[in-house]
Amino acid sequence: MRLVLACLAVVLVPFSAWAIPPIQQATLANGMNVLLMEAHDVPMVAMQLTLPAGSRFDPPLKGGAAALLAAMLTDHTARHEHDAWAGFLDQHALRLGSDVDKDAMHISLTVLRESLNEGMGALSEALLHPGWNEKRFSILRQDAIFAARKALEEPGVVASVAAHGMLYGDHPYGHRSEGSPDSLQRINMADLQSIYRRQAKPEGAVLAVSGDITMPELLRLVRQHLGSWAGRPSIGRQDIANPRPVRGQQSILDMPTTQTLIQFVRLGPARNAPDFFPVFVLNHMLGGGGFGSRLMEEVREKRGLVYGIYSYFVPLTVSGPFTIMLQTRADQADEAEHIVRQVMQTFASGRISQRMLDAAKMHLVGSFAQRMDSNRERVALMSMIGFYGLPLDYLQTWSEHVRAVTLQQVRQEAMRWLKFDDWNVIRVGPIKR
Amino acid sequence: MHRTLLFLALVCSLMTSSAAWAASHLKSAHFPNGVKLVVDESHEAPVAMVQVWLKVGGRDEQPGKTGLAHVFEHMMFKGSRKLGPGEFSKRIAAIGGNDNAFTTHDYTAYFETIPASRVDEVLSMEAERFAHLRLDAQEFAKEIRVIQEERRMRTEDDPNSRLFEELSATALRLHPYRNPVIGWMQDLKHLTIEDVRAFYKAHYVPENVIVVIVGDVDFEHVRAVVGRTFGRLKPRQAPPRFTPVEPEPLGPKRLLVRLPAQLPMVAITMPVPVWQPGKNDREVAALAVATQILAGGYGARLQRELVDRERLAFQTSAGYDPFGMGIDLWFAYGMLGPKQSAEHFEAGFWRLIGQLASHDIGPAVLEAAKRSIIADEVFAQDSLYLRAKEIGRMEVVGIGAEHRDAWLDAVRKVTSSDVREVIHQWIRADRATTGVLQPKTHRGGGA
Repeated sequence: MRLVLACLAVVLVPFSAWAIPPIQQATLANGMNVLLMEAHDVPMVAMQLTLPAGSRFDPPLKGGAAALLAAMLTDHTARHEHDAWAGFLDQHALRLGSDVDKDAMHISLTVLRESLNEGMGALSEALLHPGWNEKRFSILRQDAIFAARKALEEPGVVASVAAHGMLYGDHPYGHRSEGSPDSLQRINMADLQSIYRRQAKPEGAVLAVSGDITMPELLRLVRQHLGSWAGRPSIGRQDIANPRPVRGQQSILDMPTTQTLIQFVRLGPARNAPDFFPVFVLNHMLGGGGFGSRLMEEVREKRGLVYGIYSYFVPLTVSGPFTIMLQTRADQADEAEHIVRQVMQTFASGRISQRMLDAAKMHLVGSFAQRMDSNRERVALMSMIGFYGLPLDYLQTWSEHVRAVTLQQVRQEAMRWLKFDDWNVIRVGPIKR
Repeated sequence: MHRTLLFLALVCSLMTSSAAWAASHLKSAHFPNGVKLVVDESHEAPVAMVQVWLKVGGRDEQPGKTGLAHVFEHMMFKGSRKLGPGEFSKRIAAIGGNDNAFTTHDYTAYFETIPASRVDEVLSMEAERFAHLRLDAQEFAKEIRVIQEERRMRTEDDPNSRLFEELSATALRLHPYRNPVIGWMQDLKHLTIEDVRAFYKAHYVPENVIVVIVGDVDFEHVRAVVGRTFGRLKPRQAPPRFTPVEPEPLGPKRLLVRLPAQLPMVAITMPVPVWQPGKNDREVAALAVATQILAGGYGARLQRELVDRERLAFQTSAGYDPFGMGIDLWFAYGMLGPKQSAEHFEAGFWRLIGQLASHDIGPAVLEAAKRSIIADEVFAQDSLYLRAKEIGRMEVVGIGAEHRDAWLDAVRKVTSSDVREVIHQWIRADRATTGVLQPKTHRGGGA
């Protein structure tokens, strides 16, 4: 009988009224921000520590330094050389990882509840007691150089290298976080140590946690394992110049492929932009919403020119890239580019209907719960909220913000962001000789 | 989801090779027309994952028609009696859902992540398109071009995918894992709407259907809904599945793939057994543990010996899927730097395998490998998609989702000597096919 009642409740309560689990927050004496969403259905905990130590802190011409630092921190420690460390992590089934994006470094841990103490100990040891083993450094750097070269077999990577240079020049965002074979070659251990000494500090750092744990338990573990950590980063998250807009640039890169990849790029909105939600909804209609989006409709569904076409922007501290990307058989590239240009012009001239807007909003609001139906997704969302200083009720008010977007706003944003002449184009594919 | 891409998701494939659910949580129902329903209730968030699994995939294609199962999957989105082309996905989006599908050699599956309150509607829509697909010739003409672009993107322009495609085609003589799921381009250019219609008629019958639902639903309620949707489809006999016995390899095989690429790569593969519950538990679980020791965790032996110590490659891994049909192609690969040679990598690989085949591994490494496989079961519970997918594939290949606990038991019972023995018996140079990607330099400057 209880089951039947539960089922009725689901039918009667409107979906959007679902109470999103609140984010619990605590600030430690050392300035670290701790965020938690409890979820007790699976005996596991996922967490992520986020620091202002992303690839924007790479020294000039040494792209990839922060990424190598992240790899070094989880590879071995001052207390455990590499083999013993690997043995310890495996023994307790700890999933300890690290990576960087442009703004931030992330150290992540997924752990069975029963191994929480060992897991927290491992995260703390990796962060606070780096080993700086020269031999491991030279192996990791060499392997990263080869991997960066192997990656150039992908047309998307070749285009991304070009897009970074085109949009940002020598701005700190102007290279891929992974670095290039040349930039990685120039990095030495002192570069890593310098980023670590300056940026790996608790003030402004965020520890986001989701899973089978309560705040008192979590705080006890955090104080035990990260209590001695102190200091503030020498460069704050917000200390970064705005990049200068670039428009009308073209780049054509030769690659012996059957398809041509086309990337349309420009600078996009920052994470804290006041018009974030209208642009977000606009992008969903343009090419962010998969099969419902206009680009997919025109280029794939109506004409069969591509397998996929997408648009997305990366919201960072300052303008991240706004990108439209497609791949099509090389002899169809002109036609595909023409269609994309037409769609952008249609949008930019304000021809967007209320019906389209309503469909996009319904999809976004209705599928919002899916964005946080796992511990790892919740951790990623909380890290973003904490690191970029968004309000703690961000998830609770997200749907309201989407619903509040008006047709007039979306039209204004389309005029502002989608004028074709404000974009740049990169093509990667076979050049006829 | 294509086999050709499997190697890219190595550790993942091991992780997902066994998701976590206690089999006792599952509830299932059979309908008279052959449709089966399996439900895993989970009430943490008001979301449900609906997956419709079909016992048909690339293995069921006729010669000259490779890629047809996957082409068919695309056509399921191109309109039915009640819905226009593309309308299925639009309706799913409008209720706040997301949908997609995937095809492998062994199965085809369609899935929707939706607000749990809309499950009834989605099941009706799924049953309607299943029963009354339109299969319009003009839609097909457009979609086959989309699929050719998909092949260009995933395979033609990716030298590593092509190496794996050639490797499978060379390693096997009879078993359908020798053909790519996406299809050979030569076949894709000749498929017709009549082929698609014949495939529909033969394979899209109720007894090939397994409906899997994971999420915030009530079993009795969805049983009734499936009963009045899928349960009412007219029964028809499904053709027997194509399950030939692959002849044992007669000696080592080699192939060379010369394509524009930045760096060389070596891949090694051989056919190995898959799980038949109650028949080969010990052997197959030992193969899974052996693969975990070689390629899983932070102390993966391949990485430690061949990359860290001997510097024979800059990245290496291995993969095994114990839940295939008939056989699995066990594989290992090495990504090589400009001065690392295929010959040295292969020699180092077989040296390591030789050691593992002749010496028992220590108890700490064995226990860590088993614990890791079991921990991944727990971590996989975190995702509705993975939970549903594991149920679906265990059902569709004939193992049965209820055997899940038996699999974990088999993993727990593996001993050091089991691991040594399966490596000695199955991972052998004289059974292996080895492929080398040799970069052909390109005069352009794109890369």
